[in-house]
Amino acid sequence: MLTKKNFFCLCLGLFAFSAIAQTEKLQEEKELEVVNFKSIKKVLQQDGLSQAAKNKEKQVQVLKKEQTQVEKSRYNYPTESELWGFVSEYWLVKNAQLLNWDFEKPDYGLEENFKKIMQQLGFYQKKFKILMLNTPTTVRAALPGNEEMIFILSVPFVRSLDLSKLEISLLLLEDYFRLEAGYFKKNVATEKMTKLAGTNFYGSKPDLSMVEELLKNYTNQVNQKGYTFQQQFEITKKMDAFLKSNPELWNTYFRLLGKIDRFIKVNVQYKDYVRLYPSPEMQVKWLSPEEKVL
Amino acid sequence: MSQLGNDPVPLEGIKMWWILLLPSLLFAETVSTDEKVVGVFYFTPMFGHVHQSSVKTSASLTTIQCSHPVKVIESSKVSAGPEWAYVQVADYRGFVLKRFLAEKRPECFQGKYPKFFDAFNMDLSELYYWGRLNDQYVQGETRVN
Repeated sequence: MLTKKNFFCLCLGLFAFSAIAQTEKLQEEKELEVVNFKSIKKVLQQDGLSQAAKNKEKQVQVLKKEQTQVEKSRYNYPTESELWGFVSEYWLVKNAQLLNWDFEKPDYGLEENFKKIMQQLGFYQKKFKILMLNTPTTVRAALPGNEEMIFILSVPFVRSLDLSKLEISLLLLEDYFRLEAGYFKKNVATEKMTKLAGTNFYGSKPDLSMVEELLKNYTNQVNQKGYTFQQQFEITKKMDAFLKSNPELWNTYFRLLGKIDRFIKVNVQYKDYVRLYPSPEMQVKWLSPEEKVL
Repeated sequence: MSQLGNDPVPLEGIKMWWILLLPSLLFAETVSTDEKVVGVFYFTPMFGHVHQSSVKTSASLTTIQCSHPVKVIESSKVSAGPEWAYVQVADYRGFVLKRFLAEKRPECFQGKYPKFFDAFNMDLSELYYWGRLNDQYVQGETRVN
């Protein structure tokens, strides 16, 4: 049995529901309802209101289409550039404990020094981020960012070699050339990533396996795969070409390679370095002037 | 009534109260005028922390994300240093690097790709580290001299 109280509640509920349903309609839709009278069609046509109704209907359709597009755009995959930036940082976050970058570090003055060298060589409008790691396991790498580059560098490596600001900046410059040459992206990118980046997944779930694959490739590239001899040769020659006009920088770079070569040969902790960056010894040879046989 | 009105002791007591109360009221006035809200700014990196002190490695009071409004406060009692801003976020008062604040609401990754970002369902530890990451970077940009 429906009591008076229940009946009152039911009415109140229906009233609230109809009020909500009304608020969901666009303002233009409501206006359309007001002007859409078939019974007085002639009068309306004479007054031009019929045309106004048609215009309103078109306006409503356009707005509804825009609304759907906005809703659909919420389901976009990031563009390739944005995806690189996101995955690089996500990889750093996921490996925070292994890479051990969350520690109080000395101020090496790298920002100013690296900027100075880059500008000296004519590289302008380049955004960079440097992250120092407190681990000897991962020595160095340059990761692609979104319109920027992310350098990671081991503090124990820097300390063991007693590297100066200039020497560190030259290592970063080498990494910059590697990144610019697209070696990292080429070694890490997957087909799925290229296919999905910038597309839409409206009506389905995003394929996160794409990011998982990339994260695995990042770890593999930074800790195991590294670069080929050919890639190293090209980078060394590029360094040679850019630094030749500045003998001080060239000599520092040449001495630095020799220093690294001697260091990794006697230090077991950095035995993998040669596999990742083959090889400082060869780099010295590639840079050395050819010996003339008399 | 007569007892109260004729008794000189309570009156003196009231005077004494005023003498004690007046400086504290004046002091309260200086405290309230000592602080100035510089304005509301927006946090720009993906995630970050409101720090307990103006040191990158100092403890985090709370984690905030891109586009979060931050009230910047100027106070003669707090020295933030040239790189840091003294801020209020909800009930927390702490420090945020100035380079992370913008006057206009920034376009954030999580705002641009909400469904993609939400799908990762990041845990607190990941959000915390992402915030720390932005603090730990040494950042720069080369320019034409």
